Amino acid sequence: MRISILLLIAGMAAVTFLPRFIPLALFTRWSLPEGTKRALHFMPTAIMAAIVFPILFSSPEGNISFEPRLILSAIPVFLFAIRAKNLWGSVVLGMLVYWALGFAFR
Amino acid sequence: MKYDQFKEGSRSALPIVLGFIPVGIAFGVLAVKSGLTGYEAVAMSLIVYAGASQFIAVDMLAAGAAALPIILTTFLVNLRHFLMSSTVSSHFKRKSLFETAVIAAGLTDESFSMAMSDPVKIIGRPSFLFGLQVTSQLAWVSGTALGAVFGSLVNSSSYGIPFALPALFICLLVLQLKNSRHVIVMLVAGVLSVVFKNLLPGNWNLVIAAVMASGAGIWLARNETDEVNQVEGVGPG
Repeated sequence: MRISILLLIAGMAAVTFLPRFIPLALFTRWSLPEGTKRALHFMPTAIMAAIVFPILFSSPEGNISFEPRLILSAIPVFLFAIRAKNLWGSVVLGMLVYWALGFAFR
Repeated sequence: MKYDQFKEGSRSALPIVLGFIPVGIAFGVLAVKSGLTGYEAVAMSLIVYAGASQFIAVDMLAAGAAALPIILTTFLVNLRHFLMSSTVSSHFKRKSLFETAVIAAGLTDESFSMAMSDPVKIIGRPSFLFGLQVTSQLAWVSGTALGAVFGSLVNSSSYGIPFALPALFICLLVLQLKNSRHVIVMLVAGVLSVVFKNLLPGNWNLVIAAVMASGAGIWLARNETDEVNQVEGVGPG
């Protein structure tokens, strides 16, 4: 293991760990103001949507894009997830559909 | 440490495992291709444990980037955890700094959103969250090792592998949609995130979109104190 890579990993770990750690450490000791707590109510929905939409509708360069294979794979997973609320099934279905569509989009 | 809760958490991590192993393999392959040794790749997955930023890091390494720009990019990409950590904190009582650090270190998009889809499971039950996180991380690290060792044998863009995590994310998003306000928040956050992606570096699009959409949700629910008070209502804080 090279020292330079080890230092890189340590640096990456530090800047990754701190945003994960600081709020938990602070706000389990000193309670957040009520208003801020309320503001966090929709945060899980907002974060997941902010993660999912660019996967489906952005090119790697950041432009808006519609990649049919991605979107056509996402639709059945979305519908299945609404009905079944099943994570395993969603992952397996998504992989199968995406794999199958690979034969159509080449 | 409550063993039955740990086991329950570990079991509920299985869909994450299904997504992490193939993507971990993909990372291991890419890391070795970009010049890391197998040990270095595994060390990165074990110590940094943040998928997206790891992919970007080995990409930048392969392009000859220095350490500091890579670390800065990692910071920008992972800043979103600040919001997740804040959100999770309202479901936990004060813990020792060590326990807090252990929970914080394993906080990922996947474990966060899995935990928040049913917060009752984590309130006052750190062992459940710990089991969920340890199992997920184990999958990520093992996947990396597999990819680093057997990299030449698998083509990680084949089969349905590239869609494993997107499918997981879609289902995790759906699990958060408790009523029509959540659907509106989803649309606002999603559209803003896509629009800002072109304009902002790192993952700032994600952070800003999430904050703005949350604000929109609170504004929509301003007359429904019951709904937004659930957060405090469900647990000992």
